[in-house]
Amino acid sequence: MDTAFTLLAGSSRRLVAELRDALDSCAERQRQLERSLRVSRRLLRAWEPAETLAPEPTPGPETNEEAPSAACIPSPQDLKELELLTQALEKAVRVRKGISKAGEGNKAPSLKSGSIATSPATRASYPPSTSHRAGSRASETKPPRGILQTRVPTKDLPERRLLSVGDQACMGQGAGATKPKSGLRNEQIVLSAASQAPEAFTLKDKGILLQLPEAFRKAASRNSRLWAQLSSTQTSDSVDAATTAKTQFLQKMQTTSGWPGPRLSATEVEAEVRHLQKACLLLRLRMGEELTADPKDWMQEYRCLLTLEELQAIVGQCLHRLRELCTVVEQQLGPWPEGRFPRASLPCGGGADPIWSPQLLLYSSTQELQTLAALRLRVAMLHQQIHLEKVLMAELLPLVSKQEPLGPPWLALCRAVHSLLCEGGQRFLTILREDKPAD
Amino acid sequence: MGRRRRRRRVDPADAARALPEAIAALSQTLPAGPSPETFRRAKFDRPEAAPALWRLLFRVLSPQLADGASASFSPEAQVRSVKLALRTQGYPRRALAQLPDDGSQGGRELLLALAWLLARGPLPERLLTQNRVQLGDEMPVCECEALASPGPPAPSVEADGCVDIRHLQWLMGKLRFRWRNLMASQQEQCALLGKIHSYTRGCHSDRSLGHLSVTETELLRDPEGGRQLLRRLERENARLQAALEWRRRELVFWRWMVGGRGPQWSAARTALREAVGQDLAALRQACERGGGCSLAQPHGPHRLVRTEAGAPGGPGLRAPEVIEALRSQEARLEVVLRQLQGQCRQELARLVGAPPGPVWILPPGR
Repeated sequence: MDTAFTLLAGSSRRLVAELRDALDSCAERQRQLERSLRVSRRLLRAWEPAETLAPEPTPGPETNEEAPSAACIPSPQDLKELELLTQALEKAVRVRKGISKAGEGNKAPSLKSGSIATSPATRASYPPSTSHRAGSRASETKPPRGILQTRVPTKDLPERRLLSVGDQACMGQGAGATKPKSGLRNEQIVLSAASQAPEAFTLKDKGILLQLPEAFRKAASRNSRLWAQLSSTQTSDSVDAATTAKTQFLQKMQTTSGWPGPRLSATEVEAEVRHLQKACLLLRLRMGEELTADPKDWMQEYRCLLTLEELQAIVGQCLHRLRELCTVVEQQLGPWPEGRFPRASLPCGGGADPIWSPQLLLYSSTQELQTLAALRLRVAMLHQQIHLEKVLMAELLPLVSKQEPLGPPWLALCRAVHSLLCEGGQRFLTILREDKPAD
Repeated sequence: MGRRRRRRRVDPADAARALPEAIAALSQTLPAGPSPETFRRAKFDRPEAAPALWRLLFRVLSPQLADGASASFSPEAQVRSVKLALRTQGYPRRALAQLPDDGSQGGRELLLALAWLLARGPLPERLLTQNRVQLGDEMPVCECEALASPGPPAPSVEADGCVDIRHLQWLMGKLRFRWRNLMASQQEQCALLGKIHSYTRGCHSDRSLGHLSVTETELLRDPEGGRQLLRRLERENARLQAALEWRRRELVFWRWMVGGRGPQWSAARTALREAVGQDLAALRQACERGGGCSLAQPHGPHRLVRTEAGAPGGPGLRAPEVIEALRSQEARLEVVLRQLQGQCRQELARLVGAPPGPVWILPPGR
């Protein structure tokens, strides 16, 4: 019984290799996804302080007015001033709250409970040299929430936030920006030193206050601009001249090669086979459409027939090309280079080499995004399933047809093969066999 | 237009500078690019130029390696890898394969190889695209990479003997399980992305983006990582700039490589055009008859941007459109899979034979 289940060595190798390949590519996707998940989950938790105070690079050309280095250590007088300031802020908030509650309703749904002004463990996140750890450390105080609430509308936000001054990695948080910058900075430094129990920063509560550092913004917009430029420099006089020179160079290379005539490279063969695979899929679909169509009159039926004939001709051409490629591989290329060569570039959509340029995909709800991602995975999975189906068909059907006797082992094999080929290995059929009646 | 033509009459001093400047741009845009002087030495086949060029070709032909990873390959391994890669891509000259493996010779041949790679396609741009810094949360809108590779997969170590078909069934089950996991993880990631995007809306200086991406938020959470990201970005900007420079100046490089026009060049050019045209015609035919070529669809990774419901939004693809396209793709693929399975069912039924053979009871749920 067992021997019926075993496959020939050659088939085994190929089938196992293909399935392992499929498993590996799945595993690779999973790994990448896990990596992204780790990062995202961490961002949505409370942000931890960095372990050590990283020594900060000197601030950029736009330094702040105060001497940065000395600003860390608060004096007792500063502390006192800080207390006064804090109390003033608290009062302001109470007043504002009263007003806003009366009039405005919920203007800032994102600013939920909790104090905004506390910075997370920012001690380390912020360089001690630059200063806008906005009124942050006074965790107990009622934050100027009211102030912020009324200014949440997007266009106002940039002014509300204290800009990072020259330092690259500093995080900006907004707070009572009504105070003049320099004055507040002093107090903020003091605040951070004096704070006892910093409230953690969560993206949910305070994400809206974030601002990207200046240096980064500049580099990012320059980056975007350069990519757009690069992908658009396609046509001009000098480009044509260069193309001509390149063609000429390639021709010269060919004639000095020492081989007669142009040869196909392994990469080109691979690419052509991929094209043929795609064509095969399209042809199969079209054929399916024609076969399931319901012609109403003889004219439609005739048209259907013509289409099928045409498809047959194209299939013939594709097969012919495939045979040619086989010959090329056997005769010219010698033994196939071992292992998988890295796909140098997979032209997306079969067009010319695409140069990346910034493009956007807009979505409006989480569900929409999930649907999109799920469909993408589904399409990828279907591609894989179709490929595996073809491989299984090629290896298993001959196996079934070769074995003649209709005994139980063969039936068991048939059942297994049926399950793999027709049910994706998920379901099994039942075989009823009539026993010979005892005489 | 007129201005460009006037510029063609350059004075000799400019001409002398033009080549080194072009090569400098090339060298700056490629990873591990050697100096223009090394290029010049290579053209005269000076031995000291060879190692640098082997290293350059290795980096160029193995872009998937991380920046520091090439150091773990010995010079011999790099040489062999370069030879294999060039042979795979169809490098036409035999001389390269005959160069010694220790990497001590071959400057001139390597320069030819580099030029050959450059002539066949936009190499600097392709390299930059493959290793670019991703600032946004990206999602490809096509599944081009999903098409299973037709090449022979790497032979697995243990599949020497015969295999039980039940092992195959087990592997299929394992595969199904992995896909389910993948689906679940993907859904979770989308949910998290949705949250991060909405919690940071209004924070981005670029209004068309509106909110921050994971990378951008991460750089705010982790300033050290942020600094590294910034450095990578700046390096990429320098290389992008150099690529643009190279595009402007490369003509003088090609004139240097070719060294004078031959009489056959126009014939070669027409022949090439014709061959390409023929190749594409067959494919186009297949595509057109098939009813819907994938060329029409958008491709490549797109940055995700969350918009407020009802807001018109700026330029960019809309998710519902992509969903529509994917749904029809899914439907088409399902049809193909069912067709194949149906074919198998028919074939197996035929092989088993008509009654009075055994009766096959198909599983429920059809």
